[in-house]
Amino acid sequence: MTKTLPRTQHEITGLLEEWSGGNQAALDKLYPLVYEELRRLARSYMKREAKGHTLQTTALINEAYVRMVEQKNVHWQNRSHFFAISAQIMRRILVDHARRYLHLKRGGGAKKVSLDEAMIVASEKSEEVLMLDEALENLARLDPRRCQVVELRYFAGLDNKEIAAVLKISENTVMRDWNLARAWLYQQLAGAG
Amino acid sequence: MTPERWEQVSRIFKSAIELDVGAREAYLASECGHDELLRKEVSRLIQSHQQASDDNFIETPAFVPSDPGKTLSDGQKVGPYEIVKHLGTGGMGEVYLANDKRLERQVALKILSGELAHDKRRMQRFQQEARMASSLNQPNILTIFEFGEVDSLNFLATEYIDGETLREHLRGKPLKLPEVLDISVQIVAALDAAHEAKVVHRDIKPENVMIRRRDRIVKVLDFGLAKASEKSSVTHETDSQIATQFKTAAGTILGTVNYMSPEQAQGLQVDARTDLWSVGVMIYEMVVGAAPFTGRTTSHTIVQILESDPKPLSSVTNVRVPDELERIVSKALRKPVDERYQTAKDLLVDLRKLRKQLDLDAEMKRSVAPLQSAVTAAAATSTIEAVPTPTASLSPGRNHLLLLVVGAVVFLIAALWAINSWRQKTPNTSTPATTSVASPQRALTYSITVQKYRDNKPFEAPFQLAKEMVFERDYQIRLNLTSPQTGFLYVLNEGPHDNGQPAEFVVLFPSPTSNSGSALVTENHEVQIPDKSWIHFDNEKGTEKVWLVFAENAVPELEPVRSFASQKTAGLITDSALRDKVEAFLRSHPGNKPTVEQDADRKQTVVTSQGNLLMHAVDLEHQ
Repeated sequence: MTKTLPRTQHEITGLLEEWSGGNQAALDKLYPLVYEELRRLARSYMKREAKGHTLQTTALINEAYVRMVEQKNVHWQNRSHFFAISAQIMRRILVDHARRYLHLKRGGGAKKVSLDEAMIVASEKSEEVLMLDEALENLARLDPRRCQVVELRYFAGLDNKEIAAVLKISENTVMRDWNLARAWLYQQLAGAG
Repeated sequence: MTPERWEQVSRIFKSAIELDVGAREAYLASECGHDELLRKEVSRLIQSHQQASDDNFIETPAFVPSDPGKTLSDGQKVGPYEIVKHLGTGGMGEVYLANDKRLERQVALKILSGELAHDKRRMQRFQQEARMASSLNQPNILTIFEFGEVDSLNFLATEYIDGETLREHLRGKPLKLPEVLDISVQIVAALDAAHEAKVVHRDIKPENVMIRRRDRIVKVLDFGLAKASEKSSVTHETDSQIATQFKTAAGTILGTVNYMSPEQAQGLQVDARTDLWSVGVMIYEMVVGAAPFTGRTTSHTIVQILESDPKPLSSVTNVRVPDELERIVSKALRKPVDERYQTAKDLLVDLRKLRKQLDLDAEMKRSVAPLQSAVTAAAATSTIEAVPTPTASLSPGRNHLLLLVVGAVVFLIAALWAINSWRQKTPNTSTPATTSVASPQRALTYSITVQKYRDNKPFEAPFQLAKEMVFERDYQIRLNLTSPQTGFLYVLNEGPHDNGQPAEFVVLFPSPTSNSGSALVTENHEVQIPDKSWIHFDNEKGTEKVWLVFAENAVPELEPVRSFASQKTAGLITDSALRDKVEAFLRSHPGNKPTVEQDADRKQTVVTSQGNLLMHAVDLEHQ
C-alpha cells in the first residue's frame, strides 16, 4: 500500500461526501485510510484492555470517526456512511485476524503475527468469524441489506437503534431483518457442519 | 434460490414467527397452499430461528468482551449494596468493594460481565455452582453470601478480603519454604473440605488464592465458578477448541493454561484430582519462582503439560529442597491421574508432616546453632538457608533427646559419606557429599521394568527385573535411568545380528517427546525409556544390546542421531554413513571400562566409570 497518511480531517470529510454523492473512486481512497486508523486504534485499545478497560467496536469506530472526520458541519449522512464503511472494514480486519489466529494456533508462521494482533478476535470466536464471513458472502448475493444488518451488528457491534439510524429503516425492520438473516445463516452453518 | 422466491420465503417467515406456535401451522398452510416445497423451506427456517436464538447464535459481536455502560461508580446502589470502590477486573467481571446496608458489613461484589450474563444456559450453570459453593463452610474458603440480580445486573456477593492474591504476593519470586508450606496446607485444607462436599474447583491458580493482610489467612476463591462461567464445552474436539475451553470468561483473551491438568488439557472428564495437580504446579512455582510448564505459546505449554516431566525442584533453585517436598510435588504432578495423590486428605497429611518436620528442624537449628555447620552437608532436608562456613564443632552438655537427634544426623552423614565414597571410588573424608565430584567420573543407575505377555495379553503386573532373564516374544520392557549428576544421555538399541552382518541401531533416547528432544538430563531426574510406551521384543531371536552413553558434555559423534529419533522412522538410523560412525564409536569404547554393581534389593544396577564419559551395554537375551 502506498503511503497516504496522514490526511486532514477536511480531506476525509470531503471523500465521504464525494462517496455519498455517488463517486466510487472516493471510496477506494477512503478505504485504506479508515482501515489503517481502525487497526491502529484496535491495537491501542488492546493495550488499554490489558489494564482493565473494556473494549467495544462501536466505541472504536466512534473514536475513529471523531478523529478522522471534521466535527463542525457534521452531516448525519457522513456518520452513517462512515459507519457502513467501517463495518465492512472491521469485518475484514476481524476475519484476517481470525484466519491468522487459527493459522498461528495450528503452528504455522508463528513469527509473523504479533501477539496483540492475534488476540484481537476473541480466540473462541475465530472459527465462528470465518464461517460466518463465508456464509455472509452468500447472503449478500441473495439479500444485500440483511447482510448489512448482520455486518453492522456482528462486526461493528452496533445495536438495533444505531443500525436503524445508519440504514434509515425502522428499528422493527432491523429486528425482523436480523431474525431472518440469523436463521438463514444458522441453517447454512448447520448444513455445512 | 431466486430473488422472488427468497422474497416470498422471507415474507411468510417474518409473519409466521410473530404468531403463536399453534397459529403458525394454519398460517403456513394458508400462505403456501399446495406449494409443499415452500412450506418446508419456511418451516426449516423457523426451526433454525428457534435454535439460533436458543444457542445465542452470533448474539454477541465478534469484538465485544463486555459492556462498559454497566461500570458502576462509587456511592452507586445495587440493591442493598452501596459501591465503595472498584477493586479490579476478574475473569467473570468487575469486582467492587461494597457495603451491605442491611448488615452494615463490607462485601466484595462481583458484577458478571455482559456476555456471560446474557447467556441463559451459562447463567443457569453459574447459579447452580454458586449455590453449591455457598454451602461450603471452611475458614480457607471464601464465603459466598448471595447471588442475585438487580436492574438486570447479575452479581455475586462474597466475603471481602483485605489482602493480596497469591499472584501479587509471588511477584515472580520464590517464597521461603515455611511460607510455601503454610500457604499450601491452607489451600489443600480448603480443597479437602470442598472435595468432601463433592465440589471441585477446576481452576486452582495463584489468581484464585488470596492472602489476608491482617493474619495471613489464605482464602481460596471461586469454587467451580470460573469454569462454570465458560461456554459449555463442545462435544467434538478440534485442536483449536481444546485451548479455547480454558478461557476464564466471555471474550477474555486466553486465560492461563499453566495450572491446567493433563486431563483438562485433553478435554477429558475432570475430578478432584485435577485440583491436586494444580496445587502441585503452585507449590512448584512458590518454591522456585516460576511455574513448571511454561511454553512460548499456549500450545507449547499444553504440549509440556501433556508430555514433559518438570525438572526436579532442586535442579532449578539454589535453596535446599527437602527430598520429601520433591516427592510430594512429583506425586502431585504425576500425569496419569491414578498415580497422583488420590485425595486432598492424603496430600494434606504429607504437607502437614513435612511442615512439622521443618519446624522441628528449625527449632533444632536454633538451639544447636554450632551443630549446624557439621550437619550442613548432610541435612539437605532440614534447611533452606545458605550454607555457613564449616568451622564450629559439637559443644557438650546437651540433653538426651538432642543427642538422639544428633545421633541420627551423624548417621545420616555417615550414610551419605558411604554413598559418596562408593560413588567416588577414591574415599576422601574431607569432602562432604556434594553433587560435584572432585576427580571426573560418571555414575548412572538403571532398572528395567518388564511386562510379560501370554496369548497377546499382558500377563501379571509389570515388575522390576532383579536379575537377568530370557525375554519371550511380545514381552515388553521399559528402562528407568537416573544419575546424581547432570549430563548428556544417549541410549541406542542394537538389534540381534549375525557376525559380518551390519547391525541396526535404533535411537531410544533422546526422543522428540521426552525431555524436549534434548540429551541433557539434570541430576536425579528419572528418565523413562520409552517415555510413554514400551520396548517391544519382536520375532528376531538373539541378543538385544541397549547402549547407555552418559557424558559430561554433548557427544559430537552421537548428537546427529537425534534427527533419527522421530516417530516416523521409529528411531531407526537409516542414514548408513551415520550408522557406520555410530557403530565405530560404540565399538571403540572411548570411555574407561565401567564398574557395574547390581543391587538386588533395590532391583537396580549402578554403573560407574572414571573420566567424563560412561559407556555400557546392557544385554537382553530373547528367544
